[in-house]
Amino acid sequence: MENSDYIDRYFNNELNASEKTQFEQKIIDNKDFAEEVAFYYSVWASAKNEVTEEKKKRFGEIYQNTAPNKTGIVKRISIYLSAAAAVVAVVLIVNVSMKPDSSQKLADQYIQEHLKTLGVSMSSRQDSIQVGLDLYNDGKLQQALGQFEAIIARDTVRSEAKKYAGIVSLQLRNYDKALAYFSQLENDISLFSNPAKLYKALTLMERNHAGDAEQAKALLRQVVQNNLDGKETAEEWLSKKW
Amino acid sequence: MDNAGISSKAFDEELIRSLKGFAADKRKAEEQLFSKYSYFIKEGERKYVLPQDEIFNAYADAIIITIDKIRDNTFKGLSSLKTYLYQIFHNKCVDLLRKKTTNKQGVHQTSSLTEMMSQLSDGAKSIIQQLVERTDFDLLKQRLNEIGDNCRQLLLMWADGYSDKEIVANLAYKTADVVKTTRLRCMDKLRQLYKH
Repeated sequence: MENSDYIDRYFNNELNASEKTQFEQKIIDNKDFAEEVAFYYSVWASAKNEVTEEKKKRFGEIYQNTAPNKTGIVKRISIYLSAAAAVVAVVLIVNVSMKPDSSQKLADQYIQEHLKTLGVSMSSRQDSIQVGLDLYNDGKLQQALGQFEAIIARDTVRSEAKKYAGIVSLQLRNYDKALAYFSQLENDISLFSNPAKLYKALTLMERNHAGDAEQAKALLRQVVQNNLDGKETAEEWLSKKW
Repeated sequence: MDNAGISSKAFDEELIRSLKGFAADKRKAEEQLFSKYSYFIKEGERKYVLPQDEIFNAYADAIIITIDKIRDNTFKGLSSLKTYLYQIFHNKCVDLLRKKTTNKQGVHQTSSLTEMMSQLSDGAKSIIQQLVERTDFDLLKQRLNEIGDNCRQLLLMWADGYSDKEIVANLAYKTADVVKTTRLRCMDKLRQLYKH
């Protein structure tokens, strides 16, 4: 019990720095004490796991109860209406096959295929950009954005950082910020290759607010007409109905 | 700011208050948070092309981590709850995809557990990690279920991040000191059961 209290006070941050050092040294010097600490930790882990499992079970029940039950509707269709239902089914199938792709679907597909992980930077100041890219590829989006924004703050003409800051903002669904970064990138006429217009269109397609699709299409047309970066993608998207 | 933005901010604030409150309020708030953004699951299925049960697990884990972060004040409100939750959910999905591509099973550890261990110096941590790896968690789980309802409930609330003071308010104990003494006795009792 005495050790239990000592261990509890350590993990509750109730010991001062010197007492903490003594506690840690005792773990190294005293095997029995180390086993008590390990047990304390294991009980915590086990109980935490129980709590997590209980919560997941509860969440699962909520999700099951709130998920739409499509089969119920099907069951209600009377046998006497089977012929009519068949006609409806044919109409539905035709409708589905004619249904245009949504702009979000196209955008999601592009993000999944092209922006899920970002390649190695070719910049001469590779290190700081590469740190951001590593964070992005590790899924640490907020930290990656912080890294790219720090680079931009140090060097406002750093187009590469703006491009990545825009991409991260897009992934974080901060569409206004993404559009702002891509607009800054768009204004950089010194770049030989500039995907800003395509990325702006992509962001608008993903956001999908009223009027976004029209704006995105206008940008894509500019990409095609001016033979800009992403021309093939722009042509492909423009050829689809959305 | 538009109306949707204001109501979302108000929702966040109310939810955070409830999550830090009494157990009954917290439970309801957990369910509200889960339900509000459960559409992430469908989106996740579409975006990450993973089975629904795996995406559901990732989302439930993200909800639990978010709740823990709110309760231990790690969530500072610098972004909206939705953004914060989405980022954790996204990271979970990326982890799942990585596990699929590398065919590795990661050790299941919550962020709180990792943080708990991180308090230790490297030398002490290494010893504790080795000892913890030898723990028979199936047996410990079994013993935890045999220890009696009061002890079990107390230990689960402790593991769920409730302080002794908060437990006083939720369970029938007189003071935080009584909670602590009872909790440590429960742990000793559990150790005896586990060892024999």
